[in-house]
Amino acid sequence: MTGFRRLDTGGRIDRGKTITFTYDGSRAFGFAGDTLASALLASGRVLVARSFKYHRPRGFLSAGPEEPNGLFTVGDEPNTPGTLCEIHEGLAAKSQNAWPSPDFDLMAINGLASPIFGAGFYYKTFMGPFRKSWMFYEPFIRKAAGLGIASASADKTRHDVSHGFCDVLVVGSGPAGLAAALTAGRAGLRVVLAELDFELGGSLLSAGSEALEHWRKEAISELEALKNVRLLTRAAVQGLYDGNQVVVQRRPEPGQSAATLEIIRARTIIHAGGATERPLVFQNNDRPGVMLASAVRSYLHRHALVPKSQAVVVTNNDSAYATAFDLAEAGVAVTIAELRAAPSGDLLARAAQLGIAIFPNTGVADVVGDKQLRQVKLGGRHSVTIDCDVLAMSGGWSPNVHLTSHGGIKPKFDESLAAFLPGGFAAGQFGAGALMGTFGLLASVREGEAAGQAALAFLGSKKQVRPVDAPGIREDRAYAISPVWGTAGPKTKAFVDFQNDVTAKDVATAHQEGYLSVEHLKRYTTLGMGTDQGKTSNINALAMMADLRGLSVNETGTTTFRPPYLPLTVGAIAGRSVGHHFRPTRRSPLHDWHAAHGVTFIEAGLWMRAWYYDWAGRTPEEAYVREMELVRKGVGLADVSTLGKIDVQGPDAAEFLNRLYVNGFAKLPVGKARYGVMLNDDGVVLDDGTTSRISDTQFYMTTTTAQAGEVMSWLEYLLQCHWPELKVHVASLTDEWGGMALSGPKSREALQLAFPEADVSHDGLPYMGVKDITFGGTTVRLMRLSFSGELAYEIHCPADFVIALWEHVLKVADPLGIKPYGLEALASLRIEKGHVAGLELDHRNTLDDLGLGKMAAREKPYIGKELRFREKLQAPDRWSLVGLELMEPGKKLRGGSILFAAADEIKGHGRGYITSVTWSTELNKFIALGLYQGGLKHEGEEIVAAFPLKNEQVKLKIVSPHFIDREGARLHA
Amino acid sequence: MLEARSALTTARPLAGEGLAINEAGDFLLTQLAWFDKSDEKTLKDLLGALPARVGQTAAAEAGTLLRTGPQQLWLLQEGRTAALPLLPSSTLVTPLSSSRSRIAVAGPKARDVLARCAAIDFHASAFKPGSFAMTGIHHTPALIHCIGEDSFHVFAMRTFGLAVWEWLTDAATGL
Repeated sequence: MTGFRRLDTGGRIDRGKTITFTYDGSRAFGFAGDTLASALLASGRVLVARSFKYHRPRGFLSAGPEEPNGLFTVGDEPNTPGTLCEIHEGLAAKSQNAWPSPDFDLMAINGLASPIFGAGFYYKTFMGPFRKSWMFYEPFIRKAAGLGIASASADKTRHDVSHGFCDVLVVGSGPAGLAAALTAGRAGLRVVLAELDFELGGSLLSAGSEALEHWRKEAISELEALKNVRLLTRAAVQGLYDGNQVVVQRRPEPGQSAATLEIIRARTIIHAGGATERPLVFQNNDRPGVMLASAVRSYLHRHALVPKSQAVVVTNNDSAYATAFDLAEAGVAVTIAELRAAPSGDLLARAAQLGIAIFPNTGVADVVGDKQLRQVKLGGRHSVTIDCDVLAMSGGWSPNVHLTSHGGIKPKFDESLAAFLPGGFAAGQFGAGALMGTFGLLASVREGEAAGQAALAFLGSKKQVRPVDAPGIREDRAYAISPVWGTAGPKTKAFVDFQNDVTAKDVATAHQEGYLSVEHLKRYTTLGMGTDQGKTSNINALAMMADLRGLSVNETGTTTFRPPYLPLTVGAIAGRSVGHHFRPTRRSPLHDWHAAHGVTFIEAGLWMRAWYYDWAGRTPEEAYVREMELVRKGVGLADVSTLGKIDVQGPDAAEFLNRLYVNGFAKLPVGKARYGVMLNDDGVVLDDGTTSRISDTQFYMTTTTAQAGEVMSWLEYLLQCHWPELKVHVASLTDEWGGMALSGPKSREALQLAFPEADVSHDGLPYMGVKDITFGGTTVRLMRLSFSGELAYEIHCPADFVIALWEHVLKVADPLGIKPYGLEALASLRIEKGHVAGLELDHRNTLDDLGLGKMAAREKPYIGKELRFREKLQAPDRWSLVGLELMEPGKKLRGGSILFAAADEIKGHGRGYITSVTWSTELNKFIALGLYQGGLKHEGEEIVAAFPLKNEQVKLKIVSPHFIDREGARLHA
Repeated sequence: MLEARSALTTARPLAGEGLAINEAGDFLLTQLAWFDKSDEKTLKDLLGALPARVGQTAAAEAGTLLRTGPQQLWLLQEGRTAALPLLPSSTLVTPLSSSRSRIAVAGPKARDVLARCAAIDFHASAFKPGSFAMTGIHHTPALIHCIGEDSFHVFAMRTFGLAVWEWLTDAATGL
């Protein structure tokens, strides 16, 4: 019977702490220190998954992050490698891609058709007979294949993002990483050591050597005592970016639900991420029980698991002998199939001592067993069939060049090691240990120490550091390998990529059909995709393709390595920016008052704005009309604090504004405001607003709410880059000042009641007049401006005092019937007046489109002046501003409706669209502003507005956009 | 007198083990700007030594000076009744007292909380008392001023004040 048994002693598990968890709903047990993989193996579960496409039985291949087969849904999170998942009380793991279970999977029927399911099958088969056939088939294909299923419920894990900084970041805590961290730590530098595993030590954890364990513990003990060193476990360095910035994903402790994505900016980085063993490619190499030799050794030394009685080791290099020897010492009968002709004498001698039979020049011809391995058929010089519980294979080692390649530095192939090595490092980055192809432990320690010293030198540290003691082991033996990549050929069950069910035959098919580049090979066969990103498969496939093309592996190259190194959940990336924190909420200084006085808020960009008040109605449709009537007939107060406000100061402030706005500002008198429009440098309208002259050298600019930030940036850019000679400073006052609009025929009366000591008479505060007064101990700015078309004022003051001032105005003007009005009414009133706003200022319209061309100065230069006269921007049929009146009483007019001439077919993009629409309390009908081809040249014409979403069409008449008070009598009252 | 209202009226102070987050209101903030070296020298003669570089502060009789730009300072005065010192005519003055919500983050865990909020090196050896950083919190501009070993003032834009407060206090969860 295939499988493992748990030894009574040894390993890094705590036999005193039994942990209960569930696997596919059944209770299962393990010990503290077990992974889900080791606990399942200990309980006799060798078959734990079904493959991606053919639903073939699969077991664990590895003991690390490279695991392609043993993926589980843990809690709600799919595709969790069992080899990385620490068990804890209450853990609930479910198998994936199998129904009803991996042992008995009905979808295994796919395997019968596997001979025709090779690379390209879907592309060739499901593209016809019709053009959109693939869209029809795709859902069925995706349902039949695949990995885990994402949960539809909310992520229960709390994801934080934090920022870290250090002098030296060491990636990996094997012998090289520990030595590097010790060197940098002893120098007093700020060191972060990031380890993917839940224990520090890397390969040392699986070495089974007391001397190495002693060295490991000593090193960790010293590092833990250093206050300048942070030791991170469960920390996957997922991406490397410019400026030595890395993203580290820190998994939760077992049973915890708080994970952190730490963005670390390191002055130097020492890469010591080790290497990954690669499989061999032979027939049925995917059967449960066929594992990487290093994984078998890891399960032995970390989890006290050994094959029940017999193991076969097949290898093309020396490293697998350590597994064979350790298993034999643990009482397992071991046979070695040696692909090379002659392993070195010391290995032969040790094997003989342990009673291990070695078959040189021999590989695996086939594996016998369906749901799990039962026998191994050796082929080559020796054709023998051997009963066994586990087949441990080693195709050599691939340094983990993923991270070192993120910056665009391609790895280089080393023929002697038969492996890709880092192709170089950016400034301040160094490599050490197995990552650099140094597979000896002592050499790795020395190299780690040297990398630490290199980092010190790079940082300019001249501190003398005590050397790192070498572990008490004999000299390293040289790593020897004869690469055997497998042959791309007819064998349909010789798997190259376990996770994506890519076989040696698929590689041959891709070559035969012209997909020669490794990037094409990847996309045609899906090789190297999925959650493991080809960690165990890429190199074998590349070598096979190189062989088929008659090129070297280096010439064939690799696919591009991109972050993340391991699968990263969307939740980890989002961090705390979910739900309430998805984006920041911006609140007016009057927000709390609104909230306490029956307002309904509406989101406008980041702002939370007062939409309408319940005194006026329960629905927006009901409320805004009443609020409009209040302003047209009496007096209302609206919060306009969201307007952009900018302090423009300096001796050249007037000149600056004169260059900025299309109309003149140089001669604006102190105490007066002026409406201004500014263009982008491409001649298109950027924004509008009023700017007031406070003194000879100081102006108070207001912008639209939507463009406040953009205008501020634009001003700073102009001053810093275009006109540094101008003596002007700008400062945002949007947060400093709050404001309210006091509007309506009774507004002057209300203003006088509010500020009895100020002269706000028609002459005292004329139209577009500005006056600063002191009231209640603070500065209050009174401006006679109107957005509504009525006699109106804006009252601004420092934001801290806006609520108090607002309450004061409401209180003293209460006899006049004053009430607050909201954004909906504010926006509707301006439509009646024909004022353009954000919906019309959409960065596509010119001054002339908006009917503002006449206000542009002819003589003076201003930004955008030249380009606004481009031929296309002067075309007579441009979509230009018009007023629109609904001709069909009882029907509704909708914003966004597409405009057509009466004789047009209602099809396509029409001749324009409605930008803003409202019910007019003055005209008692729906009116709108819109952009229409040719604009007011069509005044008086009847046209059609179509709203396809509701299949509505209504008749309109084109009119002047100024629906009320065209002469401005109300403004100037 | 008009009553001043904070943007953080509804914010509940956080007092936990090793961490306290409170509003630190009652301050006056004024931006001072100038154009050339001679203007700067005139200002220096009146206020005393100015912080040399952006990110540095200096204590002056009038209050704390924060260098926020090559030709720009913040004058921070405690309380609401402090008077502005006499300033040269070449200095451009912009009151900003209402523009910021000031949030005090203090305690041994304060640096960890801030590290969850801004991409600044808050290690004690790098971000020392007297220094400040102009950065971003929760996508909004913020100035973080280290006023003690484990004590900080976060100046958030007033209109984002409550959002930043909620972001900061949420960041403290689990620490």
